Amino acid sequence: MSSLGERVNVLGPQPIFERFATPPAMLAAAERILNLIAAGDAEALSGMATATGAAELAAVATAVRPGIYDRHEIIATARINYHHYVKARLYGPRAEPFTLQFRLGEESGEWRVWEAINLTGRRGAWTR
Amino acid sequence: MERMIAVDRLARPDNHILAPLERMFQARVDQGFSPTNVMPHEEDFLKGRLHGIAVGEMQAMEAAGRTLFDFPDAPWEFQLDMARQVWDESRHAEIFIKLLEYVGSYLGEFPETEVLWSCTQIDDPACRVAGINRGLEGLACDVFDQIIRLAQRMGDEVIERAVDYVLADEITHVRMGSKWMRKLTEGDPERLKKAQDFQDNIDNLFNFQGGRTAQEASPQVPIEVGGRAIDFDSTLTIAREARMLAGFTDEEIERLLKAASRSAAY
Repeated sequence: MSSLGERVNVLGPQPIFERFATPPAMLAAAERILNLIAAGDAEALSGMATATGAAELAAVATAVRPGIYDRHEIIATARINYHHYVKARLYGPRAEPFTLQFRLGEESGEWRVWEAINLTGRRGAWTR
Repeated sequence: MERMIAVDRLARPDNHILAPLERMFQARVDQGFSPTNVMPHEEDFLKGRLHGIAVGEMQAMEAAGRTLFDFPDAPWEFQLDMARQVWDESRHAEIFIKLLEYVGSYLGEFPETEVLWSCTQIDDPACRVAGINRGLEGLACDVFDQIIRLAQRMGDEVIERAVDYVLADEITHVRMGSKWMRKLTEGDPERLKKAQDFQDNIDNLFNFQGGRTAQEASPQVPIEVGGRAIDFDSTLTIAREARMLAGFTDEEIERLLKAASRSAAY
């Protein structure tokens, strides 16, 4: 969604609340998870998931052949209270892009994956 | 173009985060919140609620458009009403996207769920208008009435007036739904019952496990909005007056209230 532009010089109602700042530590955790998925490091990944999210994260990681993706991008984030969905795509020179979505939330002071889904070939977690 | 498109075929941009409703509720439970939509006493209520409405308006626009397209043999006046509703909902979507900016949010800050679009999954136009125009737009009357009251307590005329303009349209959409539900089922009590049952299912879907009450029965709790301390509802309320204006009968409103209180038990 594009911004409505610079507001301070515009007549009319100004925003009444501050925007929620996406936590940099959450984004750093997301980057680390994407690197671990691309590298196929299942052990390190399991340490970054909650008990309920571990199986889904492992299933997503298993669908990725290690070493074929050399870069990634975070396409979007969205939050539910203080948990954040991250939608991301992995790219490699000789591989079809791999799209995934996971939810990060803090547990015992660490950002962990609570759920994950492989979105490759789909638009979203409830659309094909 | 495909008719009767399924829930999982709705188009959205790539940079849009979609999550099934049950996953969204689980995310709230995982953080110690109730398994419902954002509640009035929560810090993010206005942002979360206005976001839900903005995407709801988009889905309502799509729903009216699909109803127009899915039933080419429906009466011309029905099609005109649906076309008008598409126009209304598109304007509403723009209003709520601007309100999001006003409260320091933006479209996409929260995920979008499939729940409203799932209410289009029926192949009879009478059921479609019963579910969407009477069920969902009736729910919109409740939600908008509560936001208007919150804005009044905050002393915020921008939100109060913007939502009031939209509420006026929603009331006409409910009336339109009632008119067409009756006209399309004239002389066919079985079809009318099917439409009413479809609406009942949708009303039950939005009971939020007892998180809804009559406005007068909602315990008032202290909340802070924009640095201002006010007392406000602790539940999602059912707006009797707005629903009466929209043409719901006393009996229908009572049934809704009873269903909401029953669901608190489980």
